[in-house]
Amino acid sequence: MTNTQIPPARSQSAPRPPAALVRPSARERGTRLLATVFLAPTIVGIVVFTVVPIVGSVVLSLFHWNVIDSPRFAGAANYGEVFGDSTVLVSFRNTLLFMVLAVALQLLVALVLAITVNGRMPLWLRSVFRSAFFFPLVLSAASISVVMKYLFNQDFGLVNWLLGLVGIAPVPWLTSENGAMAAVILVYVWQQFGFSFLLFVGGLNNIPKEVHEAAALDGATGLRKHLHVTLPLLSPTLLVASVVGIINALQVFEQPYVLTNGGPGDSTRTVVMVIYETAFEQLRFGTASAVGVLLFVLIMAVTALQFRLSRRFVHYQ
Amino acid sequence: MTDSHTRRSLLRYGAYGAAAAALAGTAASWDRLTAADIPGRDDGSLVVATLGPAYGPAAVRTLTEGFAEQYPDIKLRINAVQAVDWSDFFAKILTQIAAGTAPDLVYVATEGVQLFAQRLGLPLDRWVRRDADELREYFADVHPSLVESMMYEGSLYQLPVEFNAADMYLNRQVLRRAGADRPPADWTRDDFTALLRRMKKSSDSHFTPYFWTNRLWGGVVPWLFANGTNLLAESKAPGGDWLWDTFYPADQRQGRGGGFRWTTPQATGARFEETYEYLASLIEEGLCTRPEGGNGQNLVGVFSTGRVGVTPAGGFWAGGLHQAGMPADRYDVQYFPRWRTQRHQFGGAGYALLRTSKRQEEAWEFIKYAARKDTLTRLFTTNQTTPARRSMLTADRYRETGPDHWRVFYDTLDRFPDTGPIPAPPQVAEVEQVLLKHTGTALSSPRAVRPALRRLQGDLEKAMERDA
Amino acid sequence: MSHTTLTTGRVRHSLAPWARIAGLAVCALLTLGPVIWTVSTSLRTPAESFDLPPQIVPSEPTVEAYRGVFAQIDVWLLALNSTLVTALIAVGQMITAGLAGYAFARLEFRFKKPLFALVLATMMVPLQVTIVPVFLVLKSMGLTDTLLGLIIPAFPTAFGTFLMRQYFLGMPKDLGEAAMLDGAGPWRVFRSVYAPLAAPGLAIVGVLAFNYHWNEFFRPLILETSGQNYTLPLGLVSLQGNLGTGSVSVVLAGVVLSMIPAVAVFVVGQRPLREGITSAGVNR
Repeated sequence: MTNTQIPPARSQSAPRPPAALVRPSARERGTRLLATVFLAPTIVGIVVFTVVPIVGSVVLSLFHWNVIDSPRFAGAANYGEVFGDSTVLVSFRNTLLFMVLAVALQLLVALVLAITVNGRMPLWLRSVFRSAFFFPLVLSAASISVVMKYLFNQDFGLVNWLLGLVGIAPVPWLTSENGAMAAVILVYVWQQFGFSFLLFVGGLNNIPKEVHEAAALDGATGLRKHLHVTLPLLSPTLLVASVVGIINALQVFEQPYVLTNGGPGDSTRTVVMVIYETAFEQLRFGTASAVGVLLFVLIMAVTALQFRLSRRFVHYQ
Repeated sequence: MTDSHTRRSLLRYGAYGAAAAALAGTAASWDRLTAADIPGRDDGSLVVATLGPAYGPAAVRTLTEGFAEQYPDIKLRINAVQAVDWSDFFAKILTQIAAGTAPDLVYVATEGVQLFAQRLGLPLDRWVRRDADELREYFADVHPSLVESMMYEGSLYQLPVEFNAADMYLNRQVLRRAGADRPPADWTRDDFTALLRRMKKSSDSHFTPYFWTNRLWGGVVPWLFANGTNLLAESKAPGGDWLWDTFYPADQRQGRGGGFRWTTPQATGARFEETYEYLASLIEEGLCTRPEGGNGQNLVGVFSTGRVGVTPAGGFWAGGLHQAGMPADRYDVQYFPRWRTQRHQFGGAGYALLRTSKRQEEAWEFIKYAARKDTLTRLFTTNQTTPARRSMLTADRYRETGPDHWRVFYDTLDRFPDTGPIPAPPQVAEVEQVLLKHTGTALSSPRAVRPALRRLQGDLEKAMERDA
Repeated sequence: MSHTTLTTGRVRHSLAPWARIAGLAVCALLTLGPVIWTVSTSLRTPAESFDLPPQIVPSEPTVEAYRGVFAQIDVWLLALNSTLVTALIAVGQMITAGLAGYAFARLEFRFKKPLFALVLATMMVPLQVTIVPVFLVLKSMGLTDTLLGLIIPAFPTAFGTFLMRQYFLGMPKDLGEAAMLDGAGPWRVFRSVYAPLAAPGLAIVGVLAFNYHWNEFFRPLILETSGQNYTLPLGLVSLQGNLGTGSVSVVLAGVVLSMIPAVAVFVVGQRPLREGITSAGVNR
């Protein structure tokens, strides 16, 4: 992302000496003061309610603490326990699997729909479609998961009834390992794709018309045109959509918590669910913090990796 | 352009308006924001925490007003804590304790009796002894099994006010369709299987004979009890004679102790495996839903519309079915079938007194008040649970909601004196979690039972080794 | 097929228009289906809840379930709490994000890049990781089990700050430069040139904040322990009833009631909201 340059330097005719050699002008001091005042609420808030708690979590992860008794120092014992606990390890695997599948599906659905909606059609219809695809985003994930639990019921749910109409045998959503993961992903993507969809709509509108016309002249049509022309031009938007998508997917909680409670077995237990259960149900706050610290590290690593990869695949106009 | 301009200025005024409204609103509602307007928050009231879903606003009002009449000098605040289940509820109470705003009394179900008793609770023994004469009437009306389930290491921690035993609910419409009658009280597991098969045969593909929910109460554990085993090895703590000798006649004291001890996991035992294999075979035959199939609300809906024939539930379900619009004559209830035994499972609840309370005398008065017959009669008006007092189960009470054989609810305790509580050691949260988890896997097919139970055993052992 | 389209930048498709529109209609129906089912089921009796095929238009609609909601929980108090919390967070975030976004977009100062990175990095911190220490911080401030304890920690917003930065970056730079040549100081430039243009951007932040915090479940679940301090999503939990015996219709009626304000905000605010999200993905 390009940084805006300081306007005063350009607006004056004579070149100024390097800033280090002169005392800051009144204007610069004013700017710094203003910046300090403007940033204070956000930065202070972040320090008090995010940075300090993160440090607190790291410290807590070195203790045994059950709320009732005073904390006991544990050294690395909590981490040892975490690495020896198959449930925790499986939850990391589930979360990564969920992230890959959910984000891929979400981006694919959003991209296809965005391109299709951007095709020729009456404006009011386009607006109706855009609103419809965006609508699930305003609902509460917890409430809608309660609803989805009814709809995905194997024996009495609407989903299997609809599938039955087209001759598909009842799917054991929620009651088989693959079915449960699929249901959680579907419900999550159903609610989240609207966000990526709108990002793509914006990105598509930003692609100059001439690009398409040039592509058409070269004989590129349909799928090929999208693959070779639209996608590269959309790559900055894709990056934003996938970064936000991945960060959100790694923190998924409500959907599996309500739909499957992590089951069957551990097949849909996510890292955040493990943190919640360990801390607030089993009152092992130290262990829970250790899991949290590991999740935090994972999220940072994945995000860093993404930005690194993006240098090779993202084309800026 | 003018369009976007007017929109922009509209938005701007909107923002100003919002800011002004927020400022005014903040000032006007400062007390609400800081919770300073909650009566009894810091004024030395006796604070009682109850489970929200079980205690609606009307119930809270009833309790509060009734108490104020009896004890005008004691200020009372009832805090109905919203939680999806008991473990959620306990977590919230512990959060309150961590925040330094512990209540004096907490409504605790069997699931949490030992958790609270071990760490946080105060035994009621000295008050029970002191007020023995006053309490004689209460104990005479309450089955000793219920009282024993509220004891821990020889001391009594709660006076039970309600309970639910896992009996079998039967949809009469489905019975008729299958050409079957209500089974006799001493029906066996094989009778049960045969009934499910008949039901299945006489119905369409949208019907499942047996439906159950996967939880500590009413799920797989009643079947373990019926097959003469338990999740954890069960024994009784010594002591408790002080109570039994004072309040119960000799024939009812027989075999009572100072509360249950749940220790060694026994998930790899032969009977344990046999129980799971039986349930897995029911599922495989299409006679029974998988445990993740649904929750209570699902169940009320499908049972009342005849898409399920049989399900385990306690007295609380009479109220639930009535509320869902099921007429009293459309269902009935019978004991859980016999396997090696016909021991039933129950869960109860009552008020636990916290050690940190500075109003222990007042709290004890509340405990007695909450266990009085007139209090419970006013509270339990919709059959949302089974009262712990036998004398409250009357034909009158069940006339509107049904079922015809309502006597089964309390007779379960009398007829099967070994009927026992949910296995709930102080490590209950983890025990429950691993049970639910591995039950789901174990029942995916009969072949999956053995390996899943081995893992269940391992996880249970780990959980029990941990300090709760 | 013709290459010309009504608007610029539209993509030409090889698919027949009617097929495209039919496909989109099916997708839209799938997207809205669960919501339609929820509304329709809340208007039927619990016994009819699981009818297959479902009656989408109830033959005998009943508002009994809605009466049940009002009888079982104190809807007005819960709604008041939710409104207070959501509105104050929205206003607070508009202020913090507006100011910080402007600073990052248009002011020069030391540590700008690392500070911006810090703000963005908070998006990566799961709530569940920090909730226990946050609880302890609030305890030391005496704010546990108060609505303020929910509101104040939600004031800083990474996404809002990011959006506002994008928004200010999108405004023509010459406006501020011209004002500065006229001798306006940094504050004047902000106050008279850029701030008046920021209202639509702030509206986006406000709508997003409302949307998120109205539906918020986890923080209130942990932080609020007195019944009087519950927000609507927490209160709805008790509709599930003792041991899950609550009626489906009542549960769904509660879901519908809690949806209403979010939907209202969606209808009013969907255009700025859409524009906000749309612009967030456009690289500048």
